[in-house]
Amino acid sequence: MDLQTLILNLSRYWADCGCIVQQPCDTEVGAGTMHPESFLRVLGPEPYRVAYVQPSRRPADARYGENPFRLGRHLQMQVILKPSPDDIQGLYLKSLEAMGIDPSVHDIRFEEDNWESPTLGAWGVGWQVLLDGMEITQFTYFQQAGGIDLAPMTAELTYGLERISMFLQRKDSIYDIEWGAGVPYGHIRLMDEREASTYGFEVADVDMLRRHFEDWEREAGRCLEHDPPLVVPALEATLKTSHLFNLLDARGAVSVTERVGLIGRVRANAVGAAKAYADQREAMGWPLGNALKKEVG
Amino acid sequence: MASFVLEIRTEEIPANALPGARRQLQDLFAKHLGEAGFTDFLTAVLSTPRRLIVTITNLPQRQADRVEEMTGPPVRIAVAEDGTPTKAGLGFAAKAGLPFEQLGRLETEKGQYLAATVNHMGRTTSEILVEITPTILSALRFPKMMRWGLGSFLFVRPVHGIVALLDDEVVPFGAFGITSGRATVGHRVHSPQPIDIAHADTYAETMARHSVMIDPAQRRQTLETAAQQLAATVGCRVHEDPRLVAEHLELVEWPGLIVGSFDRKFLDLPPEVVVSTLRHHQKCLILEDGDGALQPHFLAVIDRKDDPEDLIRLGNEWVIRARLADAGFFFSEDRKRPLEDTIADLERVEWHRILGSLEAKAERLGRLAVTLSGQLGLDLSTELLCRAARLVKADLTTHMVGEFPELQGVMGGHYLRLEGADEALWTASRDHYRPVGFEGDSPASTLGRVLGVADRLDTIAGLYAVGEKPTGSRDPLGLRRAAQAVVKIIIDSAWTLDLEAIIGEAVSGVAGQATEEIDEVRSAVTLFIADRLRRWLTDVDSVSGDTADAVMATGWADPCETTARAKALESVRSNDSFRALALAFKRVRNITDGQAEGEVDPTLFEHPEERELYDAILEFHTALKRLLPEHRVTEAFEAMIPIADTLDRFFVEVLVMADNKEVRANRIALLKLLGQDFLTLADLSILQIDGGE
Repeated sequence: MDLQTLILNLSRYWADCGCIVQQPCDTEVGAGTMHPESFLRVLGPEPYRVAYVQPSRRPADARYGENPFRLGRHLQMQVILKPSPDDIQGLYLKSLEAMGIDPSVHDIRFEEDNWESPTLGAWGVGWQVLLDGMEITQFTYFQQAGGIDLAPMTAELTYGLERISMFLQRKDSIYDIEWGAGVPYGHIRLMDEREASTYGFEVADVDMLRRHFEDWEREAGRCLEHDPPLVVPALEATLKTSHLFNLLDARGAVSVTERVGLIGRVRANAVGAAKAYADQREAMGWPLGNALKKEVG
Repeated sequence: MASFVLEIRTEEIPANALPGARRQLQDLFAKHLGEAGFTDFLTAVLSTPRRLIVTITNLPQRQADRVEEMTGPPVRIAVAEDGTPTKAGLGFAAKAGLPFEQLGRLETEKGQYLAATVNHMGRTTSEILVEITPTILSALRFPKMMRWGLGSFLFVRPVHGIVALLDDEVVPFGAFGITSGRATVGHRVHSPQPIDIAHADTYAETMARHSVMIDPAQRRQTLETAAQQLAATVGCRVHEDPRLVAEHLELVEWPGLIVGSFDRKFLDLPPEVVVSTLRHHQKCLILEDGDGALQPHFLAVIDRKDDPEDLIRLGNEWVIRARLADAGFFFSEDRKRPLEDTIADLERVEWHRILGSLEAKAERLGRLAVTLSGQLGLDLSTELLCRAARLVKADLTTHMVGEFPELQGVMGGHYLRLEGADEALWTASRDHYRPVGFEGDSPASTLGRVLGVADRLDTIAGLYAVGEKPTGSRDPLGLRRAAQAVVKIIIDSAWTLDLEAIIGEAVSGVAGQATEEIDEVRSAVTLFIADRLRRWLTDVDSVSGDTADAVMATGWADPCETTARAKALESVRSNDSFRALALAFKRVRNITDGQAEGEVDPTLFEHPEERELYDAILEFHTALKRLLPEHRVTEAFEAMIPIADTLDRFFVEVLVMADNKEVRANRIALLKLLGQDFLTLADLSILQIDGGE
């Protein structure tokens, strides 16, 4: 199964399970969790189901295209189910069938792996899902996001698409997997991985990055101070600062002392955006409904 | 007799949470059933990753009936003069649940009291279980708890079903929004369809038939037997790994095993890299030949009976090939330049936000190593020590240690060896993080030992100096283990040194970065390490706590000498005369504490017992002077023993607090003299001796 068929099948499967099929966040992010469709939608009592592919940028993980297993930008399939359904594990296992994996002839395991994002003020508990010893999915029950205790709870599934493709296609290099229409991944991505590595490790202008960090941080603050607060613009400006931090880090420009401080500054705005979103939705009377109330009624 | 079975079916519970959950269930059921008056029942708590299971056998169908004899208020208060009950009398009748007329009278020394004989009907066991089981479930605690769904319940993972049967009857209760019943499911792959449990006694066999091995002990046995057999099919044996096996037991409902292979070329990598990949990252059992050499095969534990299409083996082999190739990539990247060249990078890596870069760390490490080596009179040049301090830290900048942090030191050792470095140097890199606490061997080379001690003392002093000392159970940086390793290396090496002086040097080395008052840091670090030495005495040398305190009270800065005294004291303290001596010594301390020093003047002696004691003290003094330089500590303690009788007679015949001032001072001086000599060995007044004050 080529990469695009994998994406199409997973999207179709989760759409059939009642998910909105969304498009990626168009601001650079390190993980699909940072997409407003995850980070904001998990807050408050409104039920929500969404699935999307998110290109995730991690400049420090880049390897000039020389390492066959590592990328500075990879694709995640992100699924958010709120509240987490009772048969979530069953739904997940069926999604493997959509990927052409018959669980009855494989060894599938759920091994504890908890998740925490200091920049988002978020944490959850869950597992990494192993297929024949290969980690294919991160499975998390969110407990807190933006510093806010959640209710109802959200289940988040994150599929590492390139890794799964390598495994399904039994390829020894990411660049050899077939993307679609007979075209290998390397023809599409190898050059920009090399360039992004050179840029991130050698070329990026540290002073400019620092300046922009300050600018976008201020901008996030302005959006939050606006009356009423501009929630998604505030979050997007915060995501910019998060990405700028990652670039500075890859460039080796962040000392350990400074790191804690910068992460704290990103988090402060992420928490602010989360709070503003929760207030905004409440003021709107939770247009998508109140999952908690439904149960009582 | 009846049997009870309880199964809480959940999503996969983390392996590290299960042993604690089993213990809690065992204790809580014992407690609650005991409180309900049950005895002689047998509890077995079992688990799989998806189930917590309690089976209790030998339960009666109901609590025994119980007759309670109640005594009420005195009759004079409970009954009015006209014979009618007072308020107090009626109150007691209500409490006993009887009409007032049926109450009896009890004659006592204090007069007549109301009395009642009450028959309590035993409740059914099912009723009791209905009551206690939800209470017990809500009392369970896990290292990390979570909420799911609408967030109404808190547990270790979402709960999906509860089986609760007393014999063949459901014990009905609700928990986690679920009503108990008899329905469950079997193994996820082999038997996913719903099944009903007919009777508590058939639970185990029903589950076995549905491919769930509920007993962890049975899973262990199955796994170990299968591992040996499978290893033999590829001509290998299994590298013993009880900790990994113990983890696997908690990860499967049915322990299956497959054998896989990888390309022999990966054996060119350092064996630790291959082992780390297989064991730490893939949780595989390692296979070796008869000589213990790593072989290109592995065992993977799977949660099912078979690998019907050989896909599981192929998948695991693919993952391991990918991981080993990844490690190989980093290894060859690192080998592109000698380790010496990476020393320049140390400056660019932060070791601690206040204490500075790795270069600063290595600089301090080198200097402290020079001081230590000087004090020990070792033949290690300043130049060698300072260079080695940087080289042993250089691997922290390599790709390999970035990927496999657990291989710090080990990788540096390999790189240095491959580059042709001295054996003392490359083993120093390999070994200087060892031992971990008291566990494991000390470094092979003296260089490794000196660096190992200096590195940890610098770390401890540094973190104390910036206020990051361990508190209570929190020791995230492992400072306690670091201090224990310092103690172990010194003792393993039989070094004679002044550890307090070295600690002082370590603290001075970080004074420039300190955020805390430096004198306080020095005394805190000193106490901290002394406490770890005490831990060595009690845990490794197995001496009792008061023995450790008694010897450390008179000095501990030379740990080897201190351990010798502790072991000697522990061996003589059970001797009867020695116990008498220790008691008498407490008296000596009580009398002389706070009294002025003085010279003993034998001409002032009035009793023969004074002379006798004086001679005994002088004799003991001579013995100490002869024995201690020869490290004959036990004999030195034994030399104390004859003084016991002498001292006893002294206290019987001589009044220390004599009226004559000079005589009194002389007697105190005599006892002080005795105290001084004793205190070179231990403060016996600290010993807790039966029959003491």
